[in-house]
Amino acid sequence: MPADSGEPIIVLDQVTKSFGGFQALKGVSLNVVRGHKVVVCGPSGSGKSTMIRCINRLEEHNGGRIVVDGIELTASIKNIDAVRREVGMVFQQFNLFPHLTAVENLMLAPRLVRKISKKEARALAMQYLERVHIPEQADKYPAQLSGGQQQRVAIARSLCMKPQIMLFDEPTSALDPEMIKEVLDVMGELAQEGMTMIVVTHEMGFARSVADLVVFMDKGEIVEQAPPAEFFARPRSDRTRAFLGQILKH
Amino acid sequence: MSFELALVWESLPKIVEGMGLTIELLVLSLVVGTALAVGLVLMRISGIAVLEWTAFVYTYIFRGTPMLVQLFIIYHGLAQFEAIRDSFLWVFLREPFWCAILAFSLNVAAYTAEILRGGIQGVDRGLHEAGRALGLKTHQRFLYITAPIAIRLSLPAYGNEIISLLKGTALVSLITMYDITGVARTIVAKTFAPYEIFVSAAIVYLCLTWLIQRGIGLAERRFGRYVRR
Amino acid sequence: MGVVVEWLDAFLWGALVVLRVFFVALIFTVVWGLIGASAKLSDSAIARGIANAYTTVLRGTPELLVLLIVYFGSAVTLTGIAKLVDPSVKFVHIPPFWAGSLAISFIVGAYATETFRGAFLGVDRGQVEAARALGLTPAQTFFYVRLPQMWRLALPAFGNHMNSLIKDTALLSVIGVEEIVYVADRATTMTNKPFTMYLVVAIIYLGFVSVIIKTVAVLEVYANRHLDRAR
Repeated sequence: MPADSGEPIIVLDQVTKSFGGFQALKGVSLNVVRGHKVVVCGPSGSGKSTMIRCINRLEEHNGGRIVVDGIELTASIKNIDAVRREVGMVFQQFNLFPHLTAVENLMLAPRLVRKISKKEARALAMQYLERVHIPEQADKYPAQLSGGQQQRVAIARSLCMKPQIMLFDEPTSALDPEMIKEVLDVMGELAQEGMTMIVVTHEMGFARSVADLVVFMDKGEIVEQAPPAEFFARPRSDRTRAFLGQILKH
Repeated sequence: MSFELALVWESLPKIVEGMGLTIELLVLSLVVGTALAVGLVLMRISGIAVLEWTAFVYTYIFRGTPMLVQLFIIYHGLAQFEAIRDSFLWVFLREPFWCAILAFSLNVAAYTAEILRGGIQGVDRGLHEAGRALGLKTHQRFLYITAPIAIRLSLPAYGNEIISLLKGTALVSLITMYDITGVARTIVAKTFAPYEIFVSAAIVYLCLTWLIQRGIGLAERRFGRYVRR
Repeated sequence: MGVVVEWLDAFLWGALVVLRVFFVALIFTVVWGLIGASAKLSDSAIARGIANAYTTVLRGTPELLVLLIVYFGSAVTLTGIAKLVDPSVKFVHIPPFWAGSLAISFIVGAYATETFRGAFLGVDRGQVEAARALGLTPAQTFFYVRLPQMWRLALPAFGNHMNSLIKDTALLSVIGVEEIVYVADRATTMTNKPFTMYLVVAIIYLGFVSVIIKTVAVLEVYANRHLDRAR
């Protein structure tokens, strides 16, 4: 799939979301082209996580439209299921199932949702564990793995459902510094294979080298979006400059 | 099949008469049992192996058997021994009331000892060390630091234990006594209206339970006044 | 002790009855516990209210009274219904075994609802989100993700519930179930050795409770195996 065919696979149109009295998203619009990698950054509480959690309906948006691969997200359970089959998600806290081994974590959804046999599921799971470079940890429980290994298992678990789109919600924020690289490397490989990705992260090195588009959010709005070269060299908004100044200092 | 409210109104006063005995059993067993429990706990933490072991076995046996069986062993069982029938104790032990008090007290002691032990274990070790650093002696540390905190930590479970005991007192209706349940059973035997009468009795118990919970709530506030912000 | 030997068979059969009641009641207890816990965690105020009332009432009513209400109450109701169909009917009741098993499952189930509720709350929210993101249905999420994790948390308290269940079986002689207290009662009238006979009952219960305690300890090790850091 050519990276700049221009065909949007995700469309957010004036999406709003509030929790009680707090407005987390104030009319967010974003088009993601098939095969593109979008990095979303911004201060905490800016609505980044809420936005991507709306895309697979972990949160329900209150207003506007969300269309994923031609399917509009409505209250229809059928649509939600269809979208969730297309969209994989990786969480900050990994959320591996602690009572299942690494390979069992990968096998669960293919068996239950796609109804494939145990044997096929195991073969599939091993294939993806190899892709994230930890087939030898297959029979360990999450508690026996390092944070970096756990997050790679979590990525593999999502890939097993063969999604078209992968969402990453601060995938390296809960990791010790020495483990961040192994996770980013896996994500970089995935990017090269043409996966559509939305990544909420503060890893600006990753954004520079991998992203097609960098989005900066603040206070529930998209303040600025641009290709990385432009975004880092000539940020237009003061808020973006302030934010970049803060995190690039380190 | 129908539920006759009139029957409830008629029988409630009689059932409430049985409440006196229920409360007597509850309060007496609780006082004796709690005193025994304090002794048991002191044995458990004494550091003397024989005492610790004895207290452990006692607790294990009384928590591991039904209270009904404990009551029957004392009420029906002790009469098997001539020595007991001939002793001065027989004055008490032939009375179902004192048998019940004895059985319930021994039972409550075992459970309460475990609750208190849990409370003592819940006291932060650092406080102990602080007490030692200040030069307090062992018994002073226990009386002024460990005990007050342990009591606060034990209160919720102790409240549940009181409610358990209240419910357990209903067993005396099986050894010819007329507590709330005993009275209710005699009325049912006459009217054969089990729903109305037993539900009335249950309501009386629920009121008592509610009172106990209120009391424990107040005590928790009293002992925990330094915890609240 | 010679007298005990003669009654050993009867005690053995009685112990078997205790076990049967225990296992039947155990299953019902888990069912009431899970239904009650789900109700307490549901969005419906009515479901929460019913579940809370269930716990409050059963926790405050003596076990003996619950047993009497379930057995005699159901008998009056069933007899009433039967008389509508056939006026010549005298007495219809649930067999004491079933009435007794149900009654003690109601009692302990009330405590189990609280235990299970706490255990479900103890399972991290992210687990449910991850399952949903992978496309699992709510039912699949319940059975494959939440249930296997909550039972580990519920186990210690549930061990106590099992001990309550086995000890509550001692009440069933009151409605004529031929368990070990019933056997001891009969043996006493024949031999006039009440202490000996009830002591046997106590020893049998102590044995059952010890087995439960041991089993729960083994299960806890098994349930927590995935938490051991094997490095």
